[in-house]
Amino acid sequence: MNKIIARKRWFFLFSLLVTIPGLIFIVATPLSGGALGLKFSVDYTGGTVWEFKLEQPADALVVRDVIAAAGHPEVQVAEAGSGFLIMRTKPLDLQSGSESDPSQPAGAELAAIRAAIESEVGPIAEAGSLSTVGPVISQDLTQQAILLIALGSIGIVLWMTYRFRNLRFGLAALAALLHDVIVTVGFFAVAGTLFGVEIDALFITAMLTIIGFSVHDTIVVFDRVRENLARYAGAPFSDIVNHSIVQTLGRSFNTTATVLITLLSLLVFAGGSIRTFVLALFVGILSGTYSSIFNASPLLVWWDERVTARKSSPSARRTA
Amino acid sequence: MEYQVQPVDGVIATAADVATIRDIIERRVNSTGVAEPLVQTQGSDRIIVELPGVSDPDAIRALLGTTGRLDFIPLPAETYGSIDVATGAPTAGVKPVPGQGALLDDPTLKPLFSGEQISTSSVSTDDTGQRVVSFSLKSEGADLFSTYTSENIGSYFAIALDGTIVSAPYIQSAITGGEGQISGGAGGGFALEEATSLVTILKFGSLPFPIAEIGVTEVKATLGAAFLGQALFAGAVGILLVFLFMIMHYRLAGLVASGALIFYMLIVLAFFRLIPVTLTLAGIAGFVLSIGMAVDANILIFERTKEELRIGKGIIPAVEAGFSRAWNSILDSNVSSLITAFILFYFGSSTIKGFALVLIIGVLCSMFTAISLTRVMLRAVIHQPRFSSPYLYGVGRGDLDSEAAALKPAGAQHE
Repeated sequence: MNKIIARKRWFFLFSLLVTIPGLIFIVATPLSGGALGLKFSVDYTGGTVWEFKLEQPADALVVRDVIAAAGHPEVQVAEAGSGFLIMRTKPLDLQSGSESDPSQPAGAELAAIRAAIESEVGPIAEAGSLSTVGPVISQDLTQQAILLIALGSIGIVLWMTYRFRNLRFGLAALAALLHDVIVTVGFFAVAGTLFGVEIDALFITAMLTIIGFSVHDTIVVFDRVRENLARYAGAPFSDIVNHSIVQTLGRSFNTTATVLITLLSLLVFAGGSIRTFVLALFVGILSGTYSSIFNASPLLVWWDERVTARKSSPSARRTA
Repeated sequence: MEYQVQPVDGVIATAADVATIRDIIERRVNSTGVAEPLVQTQGSDRIIVELPGVSDPDAIRALLGTTGRLDFIPLPAETYGSIDVATGAPTAGVKPVPGQGALLDDPTLKPLFSGEQISTSSVSTDDTGQRVVSFSLKSEGADLFSTYTSENIGSYFAIALDGTIVSAPYIQSAITGGEGQISGGAGGGFALEEATSLVTILKFGSLPFPIAEIGVTEVKATLGAAFLGQALFAGAVGILLVFLFMIMHYRLAGLVASGALIFYMLIVLAFFRLIPVTLTLAGIAGFVLSIGMAVDANILIFERTKEELRIGKGIIPAVEAGFSRAWNSILDSNVSSLITAFILFYFGSSTIKGFALVLIIGVLCSMFTAISLTRVMLRAVIHQPRFSSPYLYGVGRGDLDSEAAALKPAGAQHE
């Protein structure tokens, strides 16, 4: 454990091995037209989601066929737990009155689906949450996601640079942070391909939370590096960084452990729409601790070595 | 519900127009008596309407989505025919008089004036007991109406809302006082809701630009309630595990931190009462997450204290040094969390805002409880001789002095 810096190439290699497959699946999303990679929920694709409970439990496939026959062939029906079924279709009833029939009241399309279910399958005991997202919102969400991640990253780089009076600290933190974003998005791209795990509007919230949290450990190490630079002035930079990492290892593990404990508890006991959200946080924060210890600080050393090497090499001085 | 303001003939609504539309929609919502509605603009052309506990959302959607442009349109006798007022005998026109609900698709028809000429309107009943909407016109409209009706007795004219006929009566006599009634068309009169919603629209004016509904979410408590219970249970388990973790690692200090954590939860919950935070599932997840993060400051402080104890400092200076030396890291960490939380709060939709607000409140409160509160409690404890063993603060027995010269041998190995 006390030769972290000496083995930094191995740790960088491990990060590459984790991020590259993730990146491939992320890039595959647009290239495969959505067949591979990230699976987007209705929040991004636009559509209607409706939860309902039948008086007599029925098979989701039977209900699916009934709704499909009622004019919504694209429908998906899934079991949601507690006897509820979840229906997904294209956006329904967004305008009161469709173009073909302006006098059609709001809710008519859903009412037709209800009627079809009630007559073909059985009475509906309870109608639950209903959500319709139009294509306009879903377009915005993707743009918003990219914008927010960029803004969050810039904000943190500026803050780190300001606090440590050194752009290198800010950029090393940025690299660690982008690592965590790629790991998390990549994880969901793989999970989406293999298990159909969907990401929804909350996913972007998870990403920003990860960005904000994953620098915590980076800050703790950097803070110690700064302190040790003053205390052990003259010692080799790589030794100072290595010592700082070892000194703060307990902190990094423990702060991550308490957060992961609460997330794990949510993951095991809480269900519903926040599952994906909590899973994203879990993956991101785990990656955040790794990247803080094994990427951000070794990067500082790597950079320092490059600069030193260039200064001492006459050929480099000529080109510089 | 989320609306997007639509451009008219390529003209895009300005920020002031969107604000006007928001105000009109808010007044329309308020007239329905829904409790605690929230109407806000988002971005350059979005209006978000949140209505808690509405039993009949479709009726309100119909009211809100209406542009609300009311036109008084003369129907020329040459085209649509007329009625002889004295005898009641009709003269048929080229086209039939459009009935209620019909779309007015004759581009040659031009409105005499529009809804903005109406000064007041109310629901009332006419002579036959049918429910009608009465209105009085401002002077300009009253003059136009007076002139037109006295010259065209027997002709039809149409009252259209957003291009759909509400009623198309014929002129029985000149209307000179600027007072009039709109009856509900084919003999039936208005239903009360129809009349009320028409009055609402007339009262608060038409929207300067039409709006389109681009998203709607209706959250029912049924399935959500089950998940809510689960999330709260998960939170409780998570908190207990954090307590256990802290006490196992930092012993007495961990116990003190757990006490501070209970205060933290009470303070945050009190804030939730003060600031109207919508506790969605994501919000609860945010709260549970913030508990895990709230002890982070304590961990940083206690780890530092342990280090100071190991190099042989006494309990009291070690704890004080733990607090003062950990401060930089704590501040930097919390500021970075706040940066991302504020970005989410500023740009996010309402669910995301809720989560961000929980996170902001959590981070700020934890700065207080994990630092000030823990320090006060620890100071009270460390001055008692029976609590002075380093073991009580998480230092292993025989651990002292083991790190004092850590760097030099490490450095020597590499050289």
